[in-house]
Amino acid sequence: MLISLLQAIASGVVTGCAYALVALSLVMIYKSTDVINFGGGEMVMIGGYLAMFALLAIGLPYAGAFVFAAVVAFMVGAAFDRVVLDRMLGRALPGQSVLVAMVIATVGLSYVLKGLVRVVPYTEEVRRLAPLFAGDPVFLGPIILQRQDIAIVVIAVLLMRAWWAFFNFTLLGKALRATSQNPRAAALIGIPVRAMRMTIWGIAAIFAAMAGILLGPKLLMTPDMGSVVILAFAAAIVGGFHNLPGCILGGVVLGVVQNLVGLYISSRAIVLTPFVVIMLVLVLRPQGLFGGAVVTKKV
Amino acid sequence: MLATLIRNLFLGAGAALALGSLPVRAADPGVTDTEIVIGLHAPLSGPLAAFGVDALNAAKMWYEEVNKKGGINGRKIRLIVEDDKCNPNETVLLDKRLVTVDKVFLINGGSCTPAVFAAQEFITREKVPFVMLNAAGDSGVFPATRYMFGALGGTQRSNGAGMVEFAFNTLKARRMAFIIHDDDFGNANWATAKAITDRLGVQVVAAERISPRVTDVTAPMLNIRAAKPDVIISAAYPQPAVLIAQKYGEFKMTAIPLVQAVQGIPVPAVFQKNVANDAIFTNFYYTAPLNDMADGPKQQKWLKMYKQYYPDRNPGAMMAFGLPSAMAVTRALEKVGRNLTREAFVEAMESLDFDTGAVAGNIQFAKGRRDGMRSTIVVKFDGKKHTVMPAVYTWNGRDGM
Repeated sequence: MLISLLQAIASGVVTGCAYALVALSLVMIYKSTDVINFGGGEMVMIGGYLAMFALLAIGLPYAGAFVFAAVVAFMVGAAFDRVVLDRMLGRALPGQSVLVAMVIATVGLSYVLKGLVRVVPYTEEVRRLAPLFAGDPVFLGPIILQRQDIAIVVIAVLLMRAWWAFFNFTLLGKALRATSQNPRAAALIGIPVRAMRMTIWGIAAIFAAMAGILLGPKLLMTPDMGSVVILAFAAAIVGGFHNLPGCILGGVVLGVVQNLVGLYISSRAIVLTPFVVIMLVLVLRPQGLFGGAVVTKKV
Repeated sequence: MLATLIRNLFLGAGAALALGSLPVRAADPGVTDTEIVIGLHAPLSGPLAAFGVDALNAAKMWYEEVNKKGGINGRKIRLIVEDDKCNPNETVLLDKRLVTVDKVFLINGGSCTPAVFAAQEFITREKVPFVMLNAAGDSGVFPATRYMFGALGGTQRSNGAGMVEFAFNTLKARRMAFIIHDDDFGNANWATAKAITDRLGVQVVAAERISPRVTDVTAPMLNIRAAKPDVIISAAYPQPAVLIAQKYGEFKMTAIPLVQAVQGIPVPAVFQKNVANDAIFTNFYYTAPLNDMADGPKQQKWLKMYKQYYPDRNPGAMMAFGLPSAMAVTRALEKVGRNLTREAFVEAMESLDFDTGAVAGNIQFAKGRRDGMRSTIVVKFDGKKHTVMPAVYTWNGRDGM
């Protein structure tokens, strides 16, 4: 029983790390633009398909596939902001909020991406993205982990560290943070807010795409794999939608809780877990488990 | 007097002959003097396209063969082909379009139970015969409704029955573990499996019901491992089926036989590639409602015909699943004759009982019976070779009802 528990926790941490990357992408956008990105799941999905395209059609190695997917995902995210959201903001009348319309636009983005992917030949059947590392599983005592699982954790942690370093130690990162915290003040000190907003969308798309590449060998590739976004929403809510490190922990907590629910309550309840978690957290601690006190945002 | 009588008899016979040779105008839409219009649909894109593309091609091929031989009772078949993506909303919309805009006589379509079931209310209201292409369609055929015929590749009940009977009789399993979806499709499979295990006195040591959208099967597979079963029976769809097989291999459970229902392994080669661990095929079996392996000797006739029609395409395992429904449609049309109406067609369907030469058992309908085929075979797959197990398992029509 203890072995099953340890195995469930280890496996939950692995999937949780991938959820955390998607959650990070969602929270990044939310913190800087107030927009909840319902197209985040489809950004995950296109990341996986872009990597598959790079590996199979172009013949790139895995590292090249990561770069290719990152570049294209950045362009997709940035283009969506510039072509759709920026225009919506530009056409808004003084005092008029277009936030709801922007959120609906992200729903539109999800349909567009899913529709575009369906026309490529790879979606004719369920496919598996080649694992990053093949070979015999690794035994940590009684716990069995695939090499791919270890790669997921390592790459997710590296990406999160890179993200932290970028936002804390680079000028661009600091400008992005300033834009996210107070766009008006950022504009006053000469930060190009529109460009920063576009960059945030691009970087968020990269994080989602990376999650897609990591999840592709585990979940298998279909145009509907973007449904994992609900797990990322749950992770973000658990961690606190304003709290970037919190959403990472939220992803891991959710991955583990899902497995424990399956192990001790019922397999049927696994997919219900994120919804129950979302409801419980919103009712009992709306700022999230790691979100600190509720504050009123001043813009 | 006698001469008048003979003259009248000849006149009457002549008039009858003349009338018989006149074109008969059918009252129902989709039928003219020269053609019968049939709506044909399946998932041709999206993640479930593997269920539909080759099955639909096979049905098309059959109709074209019939047309080449002169059609049916002097009428050629004209097909209107659509992609339903296995999506219930899209299926209902396209069926409405086929009936109200394209004016088809009947619909032959659907590879997924939820999609065809969604169309049932509309086709019943409009009184349009609907013959499922290759959907298992339990909820569409139980309880029977007048216009919907299906399960020509077997139902989930026949599939569930086949797996349990095989595990009991051939693998001698007495402690069975199940991993089955928690949707209608899984409920039908599970109801039958449970009824048969109860009847046979088999102990169900684990019954893991999972969502078709599950992304991690670690917990259910750990539960199954802890239950120490003699056999694991999986009735999962392709994506979860791969996740299950991966965990089965990862948790070193391969000494326990794994029996996978056909819907999880529509194309064995793709399944094998996705699982990417040949160790799982040590003790691996899958069910199939065909009369042989997809490329076995009894299927060669159809494979050859398919290659003639589609030389550039290698047929998947679902190809032959599309034939029985088209065969049933053309047989029933033949039976009706020139006076073709939808009601007469339904009655002709109810009288069918024939061997297709493609699936494991006879296609048989009756008044109050709308599931066409109840038999299943089991194939052992060792990662290289597919071997058909000797028996054919036929559901009794009662277990799980």
